[in-house]
Amino acid sequence: MIFKIAWRNIWRSKVRSLVVLTSIALGIWAGLLIIGFSFGMNNERTAAAIGSTLGHSQVHSSSFLEEPTSAAVLGSAAEVQAMEELLQKASFVKGVSTRAIMMGMVSAPKSARGVRMIAVDPESERVNSNLPETIVEGDFFESKTRNSVIIGQKLADKLGLGLRKKVVLTFQDADGNISRASFRITGIYKTLNATWDELNLYIKRSDLAKTIGQDLVHEIMVRYDETENTEEKTAELSAAMPEGATILSWKRNSPELGYADDMMGIMLVLVLGIIMMALLFGIINNMLMAILERRRELGMLMAVGMNKRKLFAMILVETLMLGFVAGPVGILLGDLSIRVMMGVGIDLTSKKEGLANMGIQSIIYPEIVPEYYLIVAVMVVVTALLASLYPAYKALKLNPVQAIRGE
Amino acid sequence: MSKTVIEVRDLFKVYEGAVPVKAVNGISLRITQGEFTALKGPSGCGKTTLLNMLGGLDYPTSGSILVGGKDITSLGENELIDFRLRNIGFVFQAYNLIPVLSATENVSFIMLLQNRPKEEREERARQLLQSVGLAGKEDKRPGQLSGGQQQRVAVARALASKPQFVLADEPTANLDSESTANLLDIMLKLNKEEGMTFVFATHDDRVINRARRVVAISDGKVISDTSK
Repeated sequence: MIFKIAWRNIWRSKVRSLVVLTSIALGIWAGLLIIGFSFGMNNERTAAAIGSTLGHSQVHSSSFLEEPTSAAVLGSAAEVQAMEELLQKASFVKGVSTRAIMMGMVSAPKSARGVRMIAVDPESERVNSNLPETIVEGDFFESKTRNSVIIGQKLADKLGLGLRKKVVLTFQDADGNISRASFRITGIYKTLNATWDELNLYIKRSDLAKTIGQDLVHEIMVRYDETENTEEKTAELSAAMPEGATILSWKRNSPELGYADDMMGIMLVLVLGIIMMALLFGIINNMLMAILERRRELGMLMAVGMNKRKLFAMILVETLMLGFVAGPVGILLGDLSIRVMMGVGIDLTSKKEGLANMGIQSIIYPEIVPEYYLIVAVMVVVTALLASLYPAYKALKLNPVQAIRGE
Repeated sequence: MSKTVIEVRDLFKVYEGAVPVKAVNGISLRITQGEFTALKGPSGCGKTTLLNMLGGLDYPTSGSILVGGKDITSLGENELIDFRLRNIGFVFQAYNLIPVLSATENVSFIMLLQNRPKEEREERARQLLQSVGLAGKEDKRPGQLSGGQQQRVAVARALASKPQFVLADEPTANLDSESTANLLDIMLKLNKEEGMTFVFATHDDRVINRARRVVAISDGKVISDTSK
């Protein structure tokens, strides 16, 4: 009967209860939308970075991690080959790509800029990365043209260059000798990260080898079957790595992305906490008003023999019921809204430039994150529990005689 | 000789303040099984304070109240709550029914607090509502009943816990003459047929005239005690 009373009490003041129920539902709805939006934004950025540049993990020589110079190679061709084979033995490794990475300079007729040159094996990149998909002009090393280079859209804009234009690349080989060669732009790429596009250009490893006379490998990019459990998988591979070679997950190779990922988790809990805090005071206010209005009734219940435990339980159940009614409505609304937005996306084109600099695309597709539904549900229950404490305390403090008289 | 239900010995209740007020000033009283007693007096004479102390809703400053031989003034707050639940029925001036419950549920609720089985609760609630003349109104909520009918539900509720006695504080104050007469008829019938002890705090002559014992109180003291 306690449940029956609680349920009917909620509807004694329909408007007031509907207001508080709506505020709880809207709070949850907003919380889930923020979660969906944040995950969508962050996961798209992370997936793009993993797909185009980072892979799930990367192997470097320990010296390269200390200072990424041309001399900090992974090892001889045979040693690199052995490492590739070793990595590919793991069931979860989908593929590997070897890369040479050098700092250098790109010179155009009117200006020059410092860049990072990534020398890749096009066949392998086609399989293991989505670099070819980022090409907006030209192609991804399809032609047999020697000394072809693919530069980012932003770098092309800065240098005032276009397709088929020539640039001079200057770099230092493993022995410290400066080499210079002329390259022709055969492709222009554009990723979600405009900063990356401005600083990185791609050439073929074979061209680099011919230019400097050395076939260097500084990095092995490793792709897993899926992004889940990246850290565990990386740790497993790490144990098998030869001395001097270090494998790090994308989170550690790109700390800003990993940091954003971790921060997002903390921020979302904080945002949910703030929403719940607002709801907490709304519910407390609602319940205090209810207690105040029902003073006579509560006094009577205490007078006829309702003990404090049962009185507390009655108020607790009533408060929890507010959460149990509004919670599922809010979660359902949030879920439906996210599902709709997953299809159409949230258009932030007006902030395109700023978002691109952060590696975020201008249309965000929210994601459903089921584990947060559970977190939200638990937070609603905890909030309702906390919200019941003060009103229940006030009720327990009532003097039955005075309460019955309405004093 | 009838069994003593309540025995009050030299009871005082003093409200401290700039000028201490003796609301109950040395009352001794014995109420036996089956009495239909009215505590009468003007407003502020101390009758409601006395009734509250008899019901374990308030503690005296000094003196003792024995209910069934047990001094309830020595009970702690939680023990008193349980004592009230099992021994005392209350009827209040403003009925104080739970508005979201039907008549049957209002009567059953107190038995729920006593952890009685559902079938027993429903059967006894039905019987009690019938005995107060509310057959057919079992599913009505208080808002759908007249003042007199609500007070009859309150009487049924007071009896539901099978108390040793019923305390009624100005039970007819909000009722018209016809409702008052009906209510008193019902309570007298329950008093006669079931031997239920009723103690009223009232200044309503309609109640006083039908009470079999009238204890007049003035300035916290018993000034007369007459039985018919």
